[in-house]
Amino acid sequence: MTTGEQRATDLEKVLRRGQQQLAAGSAADNWLSAVRERGASDVMTMARPDRKQEAWRYTPTSFLDKAEYAPVVEGPFGAIQPADVEELMLGDQQGTCLVFVNGYYAPALSRLAPGQHMPQVAVLSGQLGDVPAQLKAHLDGIAEHHHVFAALNSALMSDGALLYVPRSASVQAPIEILHVSVGLDEPGICHPRHLIVLEEGAQAQVIERYCALGEAVYFTNALVEIILRPGSRLSHERLQEESALAQHLSDLHVRLDEGSRYKHVSATLGGAWSRTDLRLNFAGEGAQADLDGLMLARDKQLNDVHLDIQHTAPGCISRESFKGILDGRGKVVFDGRILVAQDAQQTDASLSNHNLMLSRSAEVDTKPQLEIYADDVKCSHGTTVGELDHNMLFYLRSRGIPSARARQMLCQGFAEEILDRIENPALHGRATRLLTERLMTYSE
Amino acid sequence: MGSTATEMDELVARGYEHGFVTDIETDVIPPGLNEDVIRLISQRKGEPEWILESRLKAYQHWLTMTPPDWSSVRHPPIDFQSISYFAAPKKKPELQSLDEVDPELLATYEKLGIPIEEQKALAGVAVDAVFDSVSVATTFRKTLADAGVIFCSISEALQEHPDLVRENLGSVVPHTDNYFAALNAAVFTDGTFVYVPKGVRCPMELSTYFRINAQNTGQFERTLIVAEEGSYVSYLEGCTAPQRDENQLHAAVVELVAHTDAQIKYSTVQNWYPGDAEGKGGIYNFVTKRGDCRGDRSKISWTQVETGSAITWKYPSCILRGNDSIGEFYSVAVTKGMQQADTGTKMIHIGRNTRSTIVSKGISAGKGQQAYRGLVRMTQRAEDARNHTQCDSLLIGDRCGAHTFPYIEVKNPSAKVEHEATTSKIGEDQLFYCRSRGLSEEDAVSMVVNGFCKEVFKELPMEFAVEAQKLLAISLEGAVG
Amino acid sequence: MLSIRNLTADVDGKAILNGLDLEVKPGEVHAIMGPNGSGKSTLAHVLAGRDGYSVSGGEVEFEGQSLLDLEPEERAARGIFLAFQYPVELPGVNNAHFLKEALNAQRRARGESELDSVAFLKLIKEKIAQVSMQPELIKRPVNAGFSGGEKKRNEILQMAVFEPKLAILDETDSGLDIDALRTVSDGVNAIRSPERAIVLVTHYQRLLDYIEPDVVHVLAGGRIVRTGDKALAKELESKGYGWLTGRDEAA
Repeated sequence: MTTGEQRATDLEKVLRRGQQQLAAGSAADNWLSAVRERGASDVMTMARPDRKQEAWRYTPTSFLDKAEYAPVVEGPFGAIQPADVEELMLGDQQGTCLVFVNGYYAPALSRLAPGQHMPQVAVLSGQLGDVPAQLKAHLDGIAEHHHVFAALNSALMSDGALLYVPRSASVQAPIEILHVSVGLDEPGICHPRHLIVLEEGAQAQVIERYCALGEAVYFTNALVEIILRPGSRLSHERLQEESALAQHLSDLHVRLDEGSRYKHVSATLGGAWSRTDLRLNFAGEGAQADLDGLMLARDKQLNDVHLDIQHTAPGCISRESFKGILDGRGKVVFDGRILVAQDAQQTDASLSNHNLMLSRSAEVDTKPQLEIYADDVKCSHGTTVGELDHNMLFYLRSRGIPSARARQMLCQGFAEEILDRIENPALHGRATRLLTERLMTYSE
Repeated sequence: MGSTATEMDELVARGYEHGFVTDIETDVIPPGLNEDVIRLISQRKGEPEWILESRLKAYQHWLTMTPPDWSSVRHPPIDFQSISYFAAPKKKPELQSLDEVDPELLATYEKLGIPIEEQKALAGVAVDAVFDSVSVATTFRKTLADAGVIFCSISEALQEHPDLVRENLGSVVPHTDNYFAALNAAVFTDGTFVYVPKGVRCPMELSTYFRINAQNTGQFERTLIVAEEGSYVSYLEGCTAPQRDENQLHAAVVELVAHTDAQIKYSTVQNWYPGDAEGKGGIYNFVTKRGDCRGDRSKISWTQVETGSAITWKYPSCILRGNDSIGEFYSVAVTKGMQQADTGTKMIHIGRNTRSTIVSKGISAGKGQQAYRGLVRMTQRAEDARNHTQCDSLLIGDRCGAHTFPYIEVKNPSAKVEHEATTSKIGEDQLFYCRSRGLSEEDAVSMVVNGFCKEVFKELPMEFAVEAQKLLAISLEGAVG
Repeated sequence: MLSIRNLTADVDGKAILNGLDLEVKPGEVHAIMGPNGSGKSTLAHVLAGRDGYSVSGGEVEFEGQSLLDLEPEERAARGIFLAFQYPVELPGVNNAHFLKEALNAQRRARGESELDSVAFLKLIKEKIAQVSMQPELIKRPVNAGFSGGEKKRNEILQMAVFEPKLAILDETDSGLDIDALRTVSDGVNAIRSPERAIVLVTHYQRLLDYIEPDVVHVLAGGRIVRTGDKALAKELESKGYGWLTGRDEAA
């Protein structure tokens, strides 16, 4: 029991230091005080995740014992010039790109697409002007504190992107949210908080990325809320390429109203410890979601994805396909739950998780779940874990391709079934390049 | 006690009119659990000292544990002090007529045509009838004895084969394993012991009929099957129970040990009283079943048809220790009314080239709630191990639930795991097709469901398969509409 | 070109080839026929270097060098091509990319220059037309979701692109309709040349109506039990294998 108290204290310390820093900051975000208070009070009462909690059964959290995370203070990042982040930028982009450095909006690095009064774009810190009322009204509307990190985000959020796409508007160019982390003297923690609201019939593409300059130690504790009003369509593409020493947690909450459509592709490649929780709630009839994800893990990397797909309204379709590739001492954790509530008839949900395990010291823990309380449904899940297929390897080699290259090609093929779902060519190119570089080496 | 006995007899008389048990009255230790009760159980049974010691040790451990809360089943807390932990039959012929038995239950017996001992005998099946925790009849002893097979109650085995029991009892399911296993280790009253010597193929299917009769008598069966090198045994377990007003706890432990090249096939048809329409009075079935494939190329196969009990909580498992050993789990579970079932298996792959197959078919109707919960673990040593899992759920009615919770843990790259699960409504097209050809709706449902379960039924010994199909049909009566 | 002497091989500890001898010269087309289980496919896989087939005795020389110690990719680079009976599906691996990668790997290993994209595209365009393959199949993942006929045609396309010295076709005719059989045969006939040898492994005589063999062998019990010309194949068609293997003699 003493360890439990000890642990709680650690997060309390993070909370207190963060709160002190917020108190010293601007008053422009006073409207957030209620959300922050709710977060703070949950941080004080919620247990730190550990293996005894089902949702954290396979997710080690011992790193919290070792590192102390200081709140990241604004300021020194003004020195970062566009040239410093050039390598990180996607080419040929026309749309708005909001760049956040260590969690704070960096106007000098960002690009606002000309004439972009639609959608309304704001940032939490107020640097793009007052936050419109309709965004304020939605913030914290659907985020539940399923774990203490989400509560911590609510308590300490200081910046993030806020996007509002009005009724029937269609945003042509993708809107990009780019995080850049740079190393500080002591490990920092930041709490990016994003909100995306698509009004009825609206359409948009959002790219969300997490990168680092150099091998920095830090903790990104992001929370994203997405509200899709009836008939709206969002394509959401995420690329996580954090530093190899970083911790990354993304907590995504998506609400789909009637007839809306959500397309999600994620590639989580970096970080020493990475976890993505995606909670998707079908709140209106006839909505559809397609989720695809690629997870890589090697060395002592943890790559963890938890999906909680809640079919609460009838007649919705969801497809989830997640793949993991592991070598070295990598660990992949996948937990995919599909819940069909009592009256969510005619739900059509299917989930798959396939994992390629290339080394002896890797580990996969996968747990697909179906929880079904309606009868007129079509639900399935399938999962596999295994090494590369010997027949495939032989086939390639019998055509003259050496075995190391054959392995790379097969891994690449396995991964590209996911990456090919990325619509944005520049993002697809970048993800593919990172994957290829990664597959060039292989660790036992 | 007298009134309990009378009531029991009244309940039982017609339910078991075929059988051998109508002349039995029960000797019950008053409800409650403490060290003295355990000493009393051990003393009544005239047990060796070491078994009393292990009971007391298990009891002490149990006191430190809390009931599991991780499963999906919901029930009011069990008052372990209100349970009587021993009921031994006393011979006292007494026949009374019976009006209190749930006529539906009697009708069920009728329809099932529960095979009586003679029928079993004709079919070449030996019956070791466990009635209220103590064996009262054993047949075919001689045939088995000639083959060198030991098939007796565990109490008898403790007297006559103490070394064999001592060597194996608790070696697969230690008392520390879980809450109910600890309780069982402390208070088990009887059960079955099977020992098949080296190279022997057991000359007949072994069968035990469990029946729960005495009111408020928790049943704590203990089964131990040991198959020596190169031997084979098939064991059938079937259960029925008359109506009860209060929930009855059943916390059995089954341990299987398969040595090199040995095979054990363990089949269960479980149709204990599920409770009335409101779910009142059904059996709580919290069972720990585990097999240890200790030797190379050994094989343990679990087949279960679970249609009864208010709550079923059981995960027949295999520890695949020997190289090239094989574990199988085939299950059909039906929940209707207010029934809840949380069942599945664990396949722990330790040896090289080990194989496991899991086929689970769940049928949920009415307000039934059902979960498959399974673990497949490939340890780092499990070179070239394989698992294939198929879990399908069929839903009949819009107020039932079917849930699938597989846990897959892989630490060896050459191991291969495949898991698939589906959940769907019973096929309306199929039902309509059957009905348009003249079948009643119930027959149509039964036909479709039997087809759905075929993969499991084909694993049952022939006569059991027939019984299981009948049972399934009866279980689903009134499920549609 | 290919010289097999007294070859014995096991699969899972079971002897499949029991002292097989075979001599194939450049320019020749050999048909190896035999009943199911006679060792035909085992021979094909042993030549391609498949794991799990253990050679317990004998020698295999290709162009005067021992073949048995070479990795599968080394054999491919030296010009040995196996058309699979069941071509493997490679989801996510683009067919054109695969072909280019394989061709250039072989060329590199032989010390030849790699083809650039332009030259490669020109080459496959020509070859696709030659084997009458639907052009869109080249853009899809290798064999994934292909019909049986499309898979076999894809094998023939690979053969046309790699231009091997020795092509071994393992039951390439199985499961093909008459049109597909004709295009597959045309593909094989197109690469016939005085420098190249072809070994057809087949159960039926039918393929030999389209590809005329120089030599016909009958494989039974893991050995060549009879060698003849194409008349032998005709004889097999009318008499079956029994009269050679002794198994159905009474019948």
